Amino acid sequence: MSEVATGYNFAYLDEQSKRMIRRALLKAVAIPGFQVPFGGREMPLPHGWGTGGMQVTASVIGQQDTLKVIDQGADDTTNAVSIRRFFARTAGVATTEETAAADLIQTRHRIPETPLRNGQILIYQVPTPEPLRFIEPRDSETIKMHALREYGAMQVKLYEDVARFGHIATSYDYPVMVNRRYMMSPSPIPKFDNPKMDRMPALQLFGAGFEKRIYAVPPYTQVTSLDFDDHPFEVQSWEESCAICAAQDSFLDEVITDDAGSRMFVCSDTDYCRQRVAQQEANP
Amino acid sequence: MSVSSELLVAGFNDAVHDGQQVFRALLTAMSEPGKLQQPNLIAEGPGALNANSWQVALALLDADTPVWLSERLAADAAISSNLRFHCQSPQVDSPQHAAFALCDASDVPDITLLNMGSAEQPDRSTTLIVQVPAISNEPHWTLTGPGIATERQLRIGGLSSTFVEQLIASRQRFPMGIDCIFCSADTLVAVPRSTQIDINMGGR
Ligand SMILES: [Zn+2]
Repeated sequence: MSEVATGYNFAYLDEQSKRMIRRALLKAVAIPGFQVPFGGREMPLPHGWGTGGMQVTASVIGQQDTLKVIDQGADDTTNAVSIRRFFARTAGVATTEETAAADLIQTRHRIPETPLRNGQILIYQVPTPEPLRFIEPRDSETIKMHALREYGAMQVKLYEDVARFGHIATSYDYPVMVNRRYMMSPSPIPKFDNPKMDRMPALQLFGAGFEKRIYAVPPYTQVTSLDFDDHPFEVQSWEESCAICAAQDSFLDEVITDDAGSRMFVCSDTDYCRQRVAQQEANP
Repeated sequence: MSVSSELLVAGFNDAVHDGQQVFRALLTAMSEPGKLQQPNLIAEGPGALNANSWQVALALLDADTPVWLSERLAADAAISSNLRFHCQSPQVDSPQHAAFALCDASDVPDITLLNMGSAEQPDRSTTLIVQVPAISNEPHWTLTGPGIATERQLRIGGLSSTFVEQLIASRQRFPMGIDCIFCSADTLVAVPRSTQIDINMGGR
């Protein structure tokens, strides 16, 4: 266990703010996919850390937890390292890069490739919680649309894609329906990750700091991606496999390897890639 | 009303970590309806309130959460004194205005008098904390819905058939509704509004 910094609240957030967020979280899991507004102060944190995800993690985390933090699938980016170090210092918790060893996983932009298990909690940093925002800018209206389950405008938007491009062009933050009731933004994960949300054994919590909304998907809850009978939902796929671990089933990032513009594809999930390489070395 | 110091019981030994552990048990309970939790971080509750209901109150209530007490619990000076002292929660006379309602299984409110939120703001509902004599996973209710892989069995002792009928009827109003936290002496379980309840015939 790391040394805990003194002079701070446990996990940095004050107890009153935690209680408020905890009450919002209980409402969020009771009404899957519904965005629960929460009040209170903003958590003063560096730009890019995702205050919503941080506030949720700070309100949920306990001394016994092991925390993993990923940014774009990687454990070793500046933000992921800083956030991990922040909770190690302010809460004294153990941290890990291994998906299977984590109790809590705070994430931006990916769901790990390793299937999550019951008992784990996945905490998403959310920039824009309202899936209907680009159709309707007024909160007063989007709230009504959710109340009336009036989601036709989103179907129309997606169908315009089909008409224009022959397929649905949206590939990130692809809207989902939770338990057949609420339309929800999965946050800017690639639509490749959407099927992992459906009946996931782990609890999924979403925190949007700027708009102060919390929402949730309980374990084993149905999450379906919007689509059409003649244009079923499809995920991204690659001709290539990972240049490091040869995975054909993982989300690949294209990286430029030299000044001449040579390219290769590697797993975006660095832990998954490392686990596969370790396994291949153990069983050649 | 003032706080009577001779009626005061202890709060958490460690408000920060004990509060976190009780909350985590509640988060698991609410996100996996029917799954029994036993955080047990406190030895006794005030007056007629059991230790389990007391730790739930300590974890969730504060000055921002108006609380309503059922008649029997409201008549117990130890309960209101401790809620006021430890949680600073304002006590309200109408359950309609309560963020939390506390009651005993023998003394449950008419559910329709609680606040179920609105279609636009279903989160503005009253959360009902019910102290009960017994909780087990023996077959009586079959629960299905979010948080449950297939189905889960739950038996809660001491509830009137009127209360159970009202609870089941309130499912029609989803996303409005009441989330229940049931607390026996050592076990807590939650049944949120999203959970379908089927009563097994022949079981009682
Ligand atoms: Zn790889």
